[in-house]
Amino acid sequence: MGNNKYKILVIEDEDNIASFIRTNLEINNYQVICAGTCEMGLRMFSSHHPDLVVLDLGLPDRDGLEFIQEIRKSEAIPIIVLSARTSENEKVFALDLGANDYITKPFGTEELLARIRAVLRSNRHCSELGSIPGGRFQLKDMVIDYDKRQVTIKGNEIDLTQTEYNIVAYLSEHAGKVLTYASIIQAIWGYSDYGSTKKLQVNMKNIRKKMGVTPGERRYIINELGVGYRMMEE
Amino acid sequence: MENDKKDNQNLKDILFSIAVFCLTFAVNLLIQRLFTTQTLVPMIFVFGVFLISLRTHGYCYGIAAAIVSVFAVNFAFTYPYYKLDFFVEESIFSAIIMLVVAVSTSTLNIRIRDQETLRIREQEKLKADSEKERMRGNLLRAISHDLRTPLTSIYGATSTLIAANDSLPNDTKRKLLGEIQEDSEWLIRMVENLLSVTRIDDRKVEIVKTPIVLDELIDSVLMKFEKKHPSQRVETNIPDEFIDIPMDSMLIEQVLMNLLENAVLHAKGMTRLGLTVRMKGTDAVFEVSDDGCGIPNEIKEGLFTGSFVDSGAPVDGKRNNMGIGLSVCTAIVRAHGGDLTEENNDEGGATFRFSLKRNGN
Repeated sequence: MGNNKYKILVIEDEDNIASFIRTNLEINNYQVICAGTCEMGLRMFSSHHPDLVVLDLGLPDRDGLEFIQEIRKSEAIPIIVLSARTSENEKVFALDLGANDYITKPFGTEELLARIRAVLRSNRHCSELGSIPGGRFQLKDMVIDYDKRQVTIKGNEIDLTQTEYNIVAYLSEHAGKVLTYASIIQAIWGYSDYGSTKKLQVNMKNIRKKMGVTPGERRYIINELGVGYRMMEE
Repeated sequence: MENDKKDNQNLKDILFSIAVFCLTFAVNLLIQRLFTTQTLVPMIFVFGVFLISLRTHGYCYGIAAAIVSVFAVNFAFTYPYYKLDFFVEESIFSAIIMLVVAVSTSTLNIRIRDQETLRIREQEKLKADSEKERMRGNLLRAISHDLRTPLTSIYGATSTLIAANDSLPNDTKRKLLGEIQEDSEWLIRMVENLLSVTRIDDRKVEIVKTPIVLDELIDSVLMKFEKKHPSQRVETNIPDEFIDIPMDSMLIEQVLMNLLENAVLHAKGMTRLGLTVRMKGTDAVFEVSDDGCGIPNEIKEGLFTGSFVDSGAPVDGKRNNMGIGLSVCTAIVRAHGGDLTEENNDEGGATFRFSLKRNGN
């Protein structure tokens, strides 16, 4: 028992919140270590080598964003940010600094667990999906065949352009994780300029149309308004 | 507009000055005919200059009147008549007196006017402040009252759970826990409304707008709404084409959520709930409509300001934060340069409507 558990470092200064997160994660078979300040978080990070960090941005000693910068200098360990309900900018900023996902306070435990699972999975898969042929992705009635570069819904092929397919495939490779406009644009076009966000949004609109998605019906991709997109996962 | 006003004022000042001057001149001529004395002449001219300085704006009219008056006295009313002769010491002296009268009257006049405008401006600001203060007071009163209920219930339920944990049957525990969750969710919604108000309260801080794709916005709202009210279907009707609208999406989402939830909570007998967006020129018009009981006339007034909350008993004796929700909505829509309106439909139910500019920044 114990050794093969994922180790999660929770950096949160509110004891009550840290406590309920710890309880929930432990029930779900994660090993949890807690830190109340950014300094302590950095120390525990280097001594315990966690598999994932849950980070509150509003810490008493330093800004949580500094923690992300500090860690990202050398490590690719996934980080999930807990953000108070402020502007989208803060989220985008944290994500572009290298955070893997964010969750807005107040959140339910189900939501947190789902994000943790998604981030851990996508971190494991990241290298695999790209390189291993024969990969398939399934979400509800939608199937993506990475070999044939084909998307089907209920067995019917969806006629996507190259770019549209690339976007859907890219999102599916990171299913469950929010991807910022900037990071999608970077991955699809390799460069970004003024107006690229709109270009991406227009492409997304076309993808929705071709898939027969209308607001409130048949949802595969979640719109994180002002931030980016998130492919759902089963 | 400002310029027109100024031109108008200048014209009035000029006409007034000329009229007063002509009048003084005429009176002097008359006096010259009636009495043979000259002593009144400078006095009447000084009086004319005084009147002009008093009634006109700025220094130039008074000074001009003073100079012209000196000429007039010299020309028409001192020997040699109808001839200018500046070497009379008298006329130089009277010129100085008139100028002093003109300048000091104008100075006094300008100072009084400045103080007056300052006073009016301050009064207006005070009025606006007190209006804002009043609205905030209403909100706070309503909210503190509304916060107490769920807090009491959460506190009571948790106390019970801690004190009697072993003796309570599992069903009761579940029920209590469910109630705690429900109340917390309600508190979250309330606090989110409060946060929005503080976010837009300071008029000087412009809200940050980013272009948001219409169907993404609607989908996002529906997703959140479904989570909270899984059984309530929302009929949507939005344009098919790509439309992006600059907005603070978090705030606009909240407006739509509040309007939809209000319908669920307050529109009794509702069978259908609709969310429609249509383009009208460059405006996107959002409508949330239901076929419930409509808004009673007696609470229509003050519906959007939060003031009806303390005007009487709650409509259904339950928590009633519709007023708060709506005043938050109004504040948000106004901050986007629009207005939130409400009307009862002919066939029953109510429609809430607001519009956002597609190319407005």
